[in-house]
Amino acid sequence: MKKYFIYTLILASVVITFASCQKSFLKENLYSSYAPETLSDSLGVESSLSGLYYNFSQWYTYSGEQGWLCVWQGGTDIAYPVQPVGWEIPYTNYSLLISTDGAAQHAWQWAYRLISDANTIVQTLHSSATEKAISEAGRNEDEAEARFFRGLAYEKLATFFGAVPLITTPVSGPETDFTRTSLDSVNSQIISDLSFAAQYLPDVNNVKSNSAGKMYERVNKAAAQQELAVAYLRTGDPTDALVQTQAIIGSGDFSLIDKRYGVDLSQPGDYYHDMFIYGNERRSQGNSEAIWVLEQENPSTVNGGISDDAQMRRVWGAAYYQMPGMIICDSLGGRGIGRMRLNDWVLYGLYQNGDIRNSQYNIKRNYYYNNPTYAKYGQLIMPGDGGSVKNDTLFKICGETTKWFAFDPNDLFGYATIKDIIVMRLGETYLLQAEAQVDLGNYADAATSINVLRQRAFANYPAQGMITAADIQSSGNQGLDFILDERARELVAEENRRETLMRMGLLYERVENHIAPSEEASAGLLPYPIQELTNDKAKYLPIPQSEIELNKDAVLSQNTGY
Amino acid sequence: MDLKVHYYYCLHFLPKVSKQTLKFMKLIAIILFAACLQVSARGYSQITLSETNVPLQKVFQEIQQQSGYDFVSTYETLQEAGNITVKVRNVSLQKALEECFKGKPLIYVIIGKTVVVRTEEKTEYNASTTISTMALTPPPVEIHGRVVNQNGVPLQNVSVLISGTKTGTTTDKDGRFTLTVSNNKNIVLEISSVGYRTKNVNVGGQTDINIILELEVTGLSDVVVVGYGTQKKADVTGAITTISPDEFKSIPSTDVAQALEGKVAGLNITQSNAIPGVSPSILIRGQNSISANTSPLVVLDGVPYSGDVNNINPNDIAVISVLKGPSATAIYGTRGSNGVILVTTKKGKRGKASISYNGYAGTGTYSHELKPSSPQQYLQKYKWYQLETNVPQNQLSPVPNAPGGNEYLNYEAGKTVNWLKEVSQPAYITDNNLSISGASDNVSYYISGEFLKQRGIVKGYNFGRNNIRANIDAKLTEYLKVGTDLSYDAQNYDGGQADLLMAEEMSPYGTLYNGDGTYAEYPDNPELLYTNPLLPLYLDRISRYKRLDGLGYAILTPSNIAGGLDFLKGLEYRLNASYSYDPSQNYTYQGRAAGSTQNGNANLDDETDANWLIENILSYQRDFGVNHIDFTGLYSAQKFNTFTFRGAANGFINDLLSYNNLAAGATQSASSNATSYTLLSQMARINYSYKNTYLLTLTARRDGYSAFGDSTSKYGLFPSIGVGWNIANEKFMENLKAINNFKLRASYGKTGNQAILPNQTTTTDATVLYPFNGLSTIGTVPSVLGNTNLHWETSTTLDIGTDFSLLDRRLSGTIDFYHNDTKGLLLKRQLPTITGYSNVWANLGETTNQGIEISLNSMNIKTRNFRWESGVVFATNRNRIVDLYGNKQSDLGNRWFIGHPINVIYDYKKTGIWQTSDSAQSATFNAKPGDIKFADLSGPNGKPDGVINASDMSILGSPDPKWTGGLTNIFYYKNFNLRIFVQTVQGVLQSNNQLNWIDLAGRRNIPAGLTYWTPENKNNSSPALSYTNTFGYGFPQNASFTRLKDVTLTYSLPASMLSKTGLSELSVYLSGTNLYTWTPWFGWDPEATYLPRGSTGASTNFPQERSIVLGVNITLR
Repeated sequence: MKKYFIYTLILASVVITFASCQKSFLKENLYSSYAPETLSDSLGVESSLSGLYYNFSQWYTYSGEQGWLCVWQGGTDIAYPVQPVGWEIPYTNYSLLISTDGAAQHAWQWAYRLISDANTIVQTLHSSATEKAISEAGRNEDEAEARFFRGLAYEKLATFFGAVPLITTPVSGPETDFTRTSLDSVNSQIISDLSFAAQYLPDVNNVKSNSAGKMYERVNKAAAQQELAVAYLRTGDPTDALVQTQAIIGSGDFSLIDKRYGVDLSQPGDYYHDMFIYGNERRSQGNSEAIWVLEQENPSTVNGGISDDAQMRRVWGAAYYQMPGMIICDSLGGRGIGRMRLNDWVLYGLYQNGDIRNSQYNIKRNYYYNNPTYAKYGQLIMPGDGGSVKNDTLFKICGETTKWFAFDPNDLFGYATIKDIIVMRLGETYLLQAEAQVDLGNYADAATSINVLRQRAFANYPAQGMITAADIQSSGNQGLDFILDERARELVAEENRRETLMRMGLLYERVENHIAPSEEASAGLLPYPIQELTNDKAKYLPIPQSEIELNKDAVLSQNTGY
Repeated sequence: MDLKVHYYYCLHFLPKVSKQTLKFMKLIAIILFAACLQVSARGYSQITLSETNVPLQKVFQEIQQQSGYDFVSTYETLQEAGNITVKVRNVSLQKALEECFKGKPLIYVIIGKTVVVRTEEKTEYNASTTISTMALTPPPVEIHGRVVNQNGVPLQNVSVLISGTKTGTTTDKDGRFTLTVSNNKNIVLEISSVGYRTKNVNVGGQTDINIILELEVTGLSDVVVVGYGTQKKADVTGAITTISPDEFKSIPSTDVAQALEGKVAGLNITQSNAIPGVSPSILIRGQNSISANTSPLVVLDGVPYSGDVNNINPNDIAVISVLKGPSATAIYGTRGSNGVILVTTKKGKRGKASISYNGYAGTGTYSHELKPSSPQQYLQKYKWYQLETNVPQNQLSPVPNAPGGNEYLNYEAGKTVNWLKEVSQPAYITDNNLSISGASDNVSYYISGEFLKQRGIVKGYNFGRNNIRANIDAKLTEYLKVGTDLSYDAQNYDGGQADLLMAEEMSPYGTLYNGDGTYAEYPDNPELLYTNPLLPLYLDRISRYKRLDGLGYAILTPSNIAGGLDFLKGLEYRLNASYSYDPSQNYTYQGRAAGSTQNGNANLDDETDANWLIENILSYQRDFGVNHIDFTGLYSAQKFNTFTFRGAANGFINDLLSYNNLAAGATQSASSNATSYTLLSQMARINYSYKNTYLLTLTARRDGYSAFGDSTSKYGLFPSIGVGWNIANEKFMENLKAINNFKLRASYGKTGNQAILPNQTTTTDATVLYPFNGLSTIGTVPSVLGNTNLHWETSTTLDIGTDFSLLDRRLSGTIDFYHNDTKGLLLKRQLPTITGYSNVWANLGETTNQGIEISLNSMNIKTRNFRWESGVVFATNRNRIVDLYGNKQSDLGNRWFIGHPINVIYDYKKTGIWQTSDSAQSATFNAKPGDIKFADLSGPNGKPDGVINASDMSILGSPDPKWTGGLTNIFYYKNFNLRIFVQTVQGVLQSNNQLNWIDLAGRRNIPAGLTYWTPENKNNSSPALSYTNTFGYGFPQNASFTRLKDVTLTYSLPASMLSKTGLSELSVYLSGTNLYTWTPWFGWDPEATYLPRGSTGASTNFPQERSIVLGVNITLR
């Protein structure tokens, strides 16, 4: 009996041992993440497309370096840093702009991540599994969306870096043998991607829907056309650019905001300002001018409402809270830090009288003591005010744009700026159109295009505000200076000013003319003067040094000047 | 014989008696023997008297009633004595009489049951004393006893000696002995046997004594626990250190690692964060891996343990073995690279059941306190700050806050807050342990329970642990033994925790409370950078870990099967099956009062780990003449599953529901994650020894791990060889009596680090959320680029060592030298981001570690009542990166440099402070007086270029110690023992965040005693307050320290006193930890990592504690 017991025990242990002694025992399973090849059906592709928006939006919402947003504005012709954090400093003192530059590397990385993301989707869409799962029309529309982002990413790369490695299929392993493809090839890839997108993306009224209605924040045909216009302008093809802008304007799907609307109707304000109030910014909220808006939602009400903690309010907003007698409030746009300020040219020289874009609701110049316990409560803050501590009206509460005002009563400190991001709107379409017309030497048409915006901006147009072909033609750079001035008036704090200037090849000149010799600098009022800017450095950013070094099996050449 | 002895005594004394009393003495001498026997047979009556100023005869009546003894005396005698006062309690007759006659001219003699009292005669001999002594000498007693070892096995030929005499005997084959003694109360038996620790037993009136002898730690026949079995220490070829529980028994450590700190050469234990209940980090012989886990493998009762050492109750530990060399660790294959710690828990001992209680309670304060500046110093500092930042004289403000702000108002009102005091509290700890153990012939049991409670020095830091263990073994038949080790451990870290860093940096003029008595969120409002350090106390927080471990085993010894399988003698098969279940909960609710900006945030985090293991172990052990062979084989399978669940909600109507109802929040989110991995292993080991002199160990392990890449076989093979030579056993050493033991050993082999976490080898996407129309939408984005070639890291180690004991084992020690080469280091290789990914895991790097370890133990003084023992450990390790990415290139971004340690301080070299006098020169460096002067070491062309930039950074040192040491001194005096342990850690360079204000010197408080440069008080070491550290200088400072780590004074009640209480052990100890630290470091404890504002973990900075506890060990047997 005992023996049987022992034998049974031995047998049992052997069985247990060898039952597990199979190859399958060491097979690994993925339980909690998707392998890309498992996302080949319509829902899989749809989620990959949503991922594109997430990655794309981080251009605007990245919070790792507060100076990131200032890089694209500070040190250009419109603004300069006054309380810089780090990354923006080389963009005023160009001797520090070297190949290890943080912002250049981040921009590069952002673009290639988006490209890799899009490449994976495009490859999946051409896989046999997806061809079975999704109709051709559906696949084309999906591919158009993916290629829109790829084209856009390459457009930014071409603008900032020139010729870059052109990758159109996903990598399968640790590849380190990339070389720079000629700018022409990169350009034709951009045109091809964006043309495909313009062809197959739905128009704004036919975008995909979810249970809450049409997803106007998904890209549409007009967005692709607008980006295509930008690419054509950069590559010296104004004729084709004009075709795109005319298509957008001609579609009749968008119209300029020229009447008050939306959530703050009962408050004092104006219609231009209404466009930049959270709750008014989307097409579904009445913003008929919006072509493409990135949605941001407060994470306390919508999960994943933001892709990162956007920093616009903090970098643009005045640091009034640092002043005696001032407390953080909604009407002053929450807590700004004033990392940069608009320069005197924008504040005092740019706008004509009567321009709504310069109204007190759009550019704030006057501040009143708002702490009821303070002696001067309610009074206008004057330079040199204050008791033992003097007020600083030069850097901390100088004039500021209200476009990024944001306030959350539950979060006074407000790390994130929770506000929709208007990426493209019809106002810019007219400016792109005017630029194409200037490029073609057609100043009269350019004036007509700009006057559309002027008519909206001036209450008593044409008595005030109307311009002529001569106004444009007489401005510098064969009229492009006027385009740039008008872009600043219309799109300040919205457009990526540095990108625009680099695209037009006018960064060096505009900076020299608008900042370098300015009175502010000579008066010592420009804390971070522009230094050592060269034509080379104004033309392109450095290819990130780490990319050059890590790409060990081939040579990535550096841009001139670095 | 008894009679003779007494007779001899009588005769011996008789001649001393005066002639006048001789007659009388002769008279009574005849009946004396009988009387003696009678008295002793009855034992001594216990007499209690409480009389004040009464006649003697009244006292005699009382004694007679209590003892039955009659008194004989004369009237004159009693008259002469007069009245007496006597107060005694439970004393012998003799003692009572002595008290009665104290100061009286009376003597007495006891004859039979009669006490004869008469007047003292003035003679040269004190007859009464001699006679009474003679009369009270008890009769001889026979003591029986039995000596067994720890496993209850009887020990033969054990010497049993009456201490201080030459009288003694030895045990028979059943371990029994019989001794006849004249008196069994005040003698001590000295029990000794080769290989066992000599034991002194206070007989204390017992006639039947059971004695357990414990193996002597330094003895030759000492058995050590090695992987998958035990081995005679003399036969070991690898580097193994064994620690007995004595080393930490009376040190109130909540976990074993704390108790081992500094005590084992090559075992580097660092408590970088002393939060109650948080285990220190353990590193054996330096860091060999850069990215992978560097903690040693913990094996509990033979089974690889997935928990934290913190889960093991130190009171349950019988012995710890630390495996360091390749011969010892290679049998753990892919998990052996970081060394192995084998923990063996207690088993029931044979003999009577024993009940033990060990408890302690104590209190603690900061061990190395860093006070913030006082209000006056704070104001002074701000004044200087403004002057240096060129604020005009007429605009100086007393405090950073502008008029109208909280700080300004408090300044005007003269209200201050001592923030450090507000966040601190007296720490306390109480620990109660109860264990029951015992064994009969076939069953042994050890059952214990623990209840520990700890409160930290900073408010809100709590730790509680409840622990239950049951180890039961049963011998079912001669050939089959089964057993189980079960344990349950519950840990509790609940509570919101105050923020020490905020308390240090907060203005003393801040506002602690709002008007309604709640904590103000921003004490310096409108300054929003600093929140109230006490605000986190409003956080509802649950942090609990539970762990259930069950091990069942069966041991089959085929040769014992009836019917005779003798040919299988020495063969044993063991089956281990273990399961562990490990759930943890971390729940928080941040309400409005706690600073929620989203109307309340609730977060739930549940993790459940489960793991099973089956091991088949076959062992064979046999002697063939002078050859000893020992074989162990293993086949095992193991699986780990982890599942985490996270839920979160925010936007609550009010804070009443806390984290209990996520559905009451406006938005909810949930996430979960599951991973699993499996291991399949085979191992074989052969130990061979010839004449106990020449030793050989061969091992090999083959490990299959599911997480290795699909392009590999998933199996790694790890062989090792160890050789040893017990020189002391050689014939030619016979005459060298001074050398008791001398062994040389060398081992060489490979171990691995499985390094890769599950699912690292496949390309995967991450899921993200993105809103469209206010609805969250799932998005997927590329996240991890897989590498299907990933495999283990391999360490090849050579270890050469010697074990010796000299001078009758008065001096013993171990010296080891090792060289370890780790290849195939798992590194996140940076990729060009053109690929869309920034990195990919790859097996690339190579590191080496080499070092020397010395442990010495000495018995400095050994006398009957006093012993002084010392133990010294010393270890030094040199760590170097040999290669990183296969191209011998350093990685500047990660601060990894070829030829240097993995951890380095790479920074600018400070040469002093720019002084006003050299302002012209400082200006060329864009610096102003008061800024730090850095050495201009290099430039783009490799030459100093007059500019301070990244090319002037260099390697200044390493935060890893150059050497560590420990010195233990133990003094035994009678029943006292004093243990003093001093630890030292030298050659440490650390960045000091206390010296680094970044650009916040004007906005925060700074530590008291921290100097700063001012135009009036120029120094050449600390910068001015206006210095903004644009270089990101880390302020490296020497963080070496020497610490009076533990001092423990123990008093054990002597056996003679114990016998009356029925206890077998009672000891009381007073112990102090971290009593004093000598260090050049400025700041909190140099061992603690103090993180700066803004970094993860900065809100839970927690410095070391100095604690004093009082404890007691009681054993009932």
